[in-house]
Amino acid sequence: MLLTLDLNDLRPLHEQVAGAIRRAIADGSYAPGDRLPPARDLAGALGINANTVLRALRDLRDEGLLEFRRGRGVSVLGRPDAHAVLVEAARELLAEADRYGYGPEEVIHIIRELS
Amino acid sequence: MPVFSPGRNAPGAVAPVPSRGRAVTVAAVWGSFVTAVLVAAPLMLRDRLPDPLATHWSGGSVPDGNASFGVALVFSVALWAVIWAGLLGSALHGAVLRARLPRVHWWGFLLGGAVFALGMQAVTLNANLDAATWHEALLPGWHVAVVIAASAAAGVLAGYLGRGEPDRVPDRSSADKPIMRLRPGQRAVWVSRVSNPWLIGLTTTALLAAMVITGLAVLGVLEATAAWIALAVSIPIGLMGVATATVQTRVDAEGLRVGFGPWGRPARRTPADAIESAWAERRSPAEVGGWGIRVVPGSGRTTLMLRGGDVLVIRRTGGGEFAVSADDAERGAALLNAYIAETAGS
Repeated sequence: MLLTLDLNDLRPLHEQVAGAIRRAIADGSYAPGDRLPPARDLAGALGINANTVLRALRDLRDEGLLEFRRGRGVSVLGRPDAHAVLVEAARELLAEADRYGYGPEEVIHIIRELS
Repeated sequence: MPVFSPGRNAPGAVAPVPSRGRAVTVAAVWGSFVTAVLVAAPLMLRDRLPDPLATHWSGGSVPDGNASFGVALVFSVALWAVIWAGLLGSALHGAVLRARLPRVHWWGFLLGGAVFALGMQAVTLNANLDAATWHEALLPGWHVAVVIAASAAAGVLAGYLGRGEPDRVPDRSSADKPIMRLRPGQRAVWVSRVSNPWLIGLTTTALLAAMVITGLAVLGVLEATAAWIALAVSIPIGLMGVATATVQTRVDAEGLRVGFGPWGRPARRTPADAIESAWAERRSPAEVGGWGIRVVPGSGRTTLMLRGGDVLVIRRTGGGEFAVSADDAERGAALLNAYIAETAGS
C-alpha cells in the first residue's frame, strides 16, 4: 500500500493518514475484500504512533470504506465515494498551486477557464 | 501518469508452453510401458513365488512383513501410478514445464521414479524367487542401495537431458521500469505484508510437536535419544517457518526493508544507493524451486517466495537480484525507482 503525506498539511495527522489510505484505495491498489497491511506496519513505515493510524482506520470504517474483522485484520469493504475522492484531489491541487504561489481564487479561475 | 496493475494478487495471462505436447506424449507412452512391465513381471514369475510374498524388511536381510500376491502387485503398481499421475497431470497443466528448474525436476522424476518403481519390484521379486515361504526370502541391503543410486542417477541424467532452453530473462531496460513522481515536501512510503497460511500451519504444528515431545521426555515416556532427534527436526522447522511464513516489505526514502516473521524482525535493509533498479514480476513456487528463501543455482537470483504471484524484484548495483513476494508490488517498485533516481541525482 502506497501512502503519501504532505509535510505542509496543517490538518491533524490522523486525518492526513485517513486521506492517504482513501487515496490508495481509490486508485485501485486495494479492491473490496483485500486485506490491508496491519496498522503497526503502516505506522512503522510512516514513523508515527500506531494509535494515530488506528484512529484513521476507525474513521474510514465509520465512512463504510473498511471492515474490521476479529482475527482477519482490516479489509476493504467498498470504494470511496466520488465526493471524498474529489475533495482529496482538490486538496492536493491546492497544495501544488500553493507551491507555485497561486491562491485558491486563481485555481478556481483556472478551473472555470477549463470547463 | 504510469498505469499500474491492480495491487491485489490477481492471476495474470499465461504464455503457451512449446514443449508440452511432446512431454505429455512421452509421459503417456513411457508410463504405460512401465505400468505394463510392473503388471506383467510378477504374473510371469508367479509359479516360482511363495504366497504370501515377503514385502517388508527392516534393516537386516530377514523379512518382517508379508502380503498376498494380489496386494503386493497392487502396491507396486500403485507406487508408480501415483508418481505417473502427478507428472502427467502437471504436464497437462503445463505451468511446470515453463521454467527450467521445474522442467529438470519433471524429467528427473519421470525417469528416476520409473527406475525406482521397477527396481523396488525387481529386488522384491528377486528375494522371493524360488523361496519356499516368505520367511526364507532374504534381501541383501546393498540391493536396495543399488536401486536408490540407480534411480537417483537416472533422475539426474533425465533432468539434465530434459533441461531445455535456459529461462528467458526479460530485458529490463530503463524504459519499461515503473517510476512515479516525488513531490518536494511529501513523504511517500509503501508497505506490504504477505503471509502463507499453509506455512503458518506447518510452523505451528512443528512447534506444538516440539512442546509435546519435550513434555513426554520430561515425564519419561519418551526415550531421551528419540526426543533429541525429534527436537532437532521440529525446532529448526518451526523457527525457519516463523521467520519465513510472514514477510513485511517496506519502501521508504532509505530504500528497501524486508522484515522477517510476524514482528518484522530481524530485518534486512538495502539502501537506495545499493539498488540499480526495481520492478514487479510474477513468479510461481515451481519456477524458483519451492517456498521460503530460494536461490536458483548459477543465476545469482534469490527469491523469498511465500505464494505464487506478484514479487518485488531489485537488482543490486553490485550485481545479483533479490525478489520478495508482495501485494501491490508494482507501486512499491515505482516508489523505489523514484527514490533511487533521487539518491543518484543528489
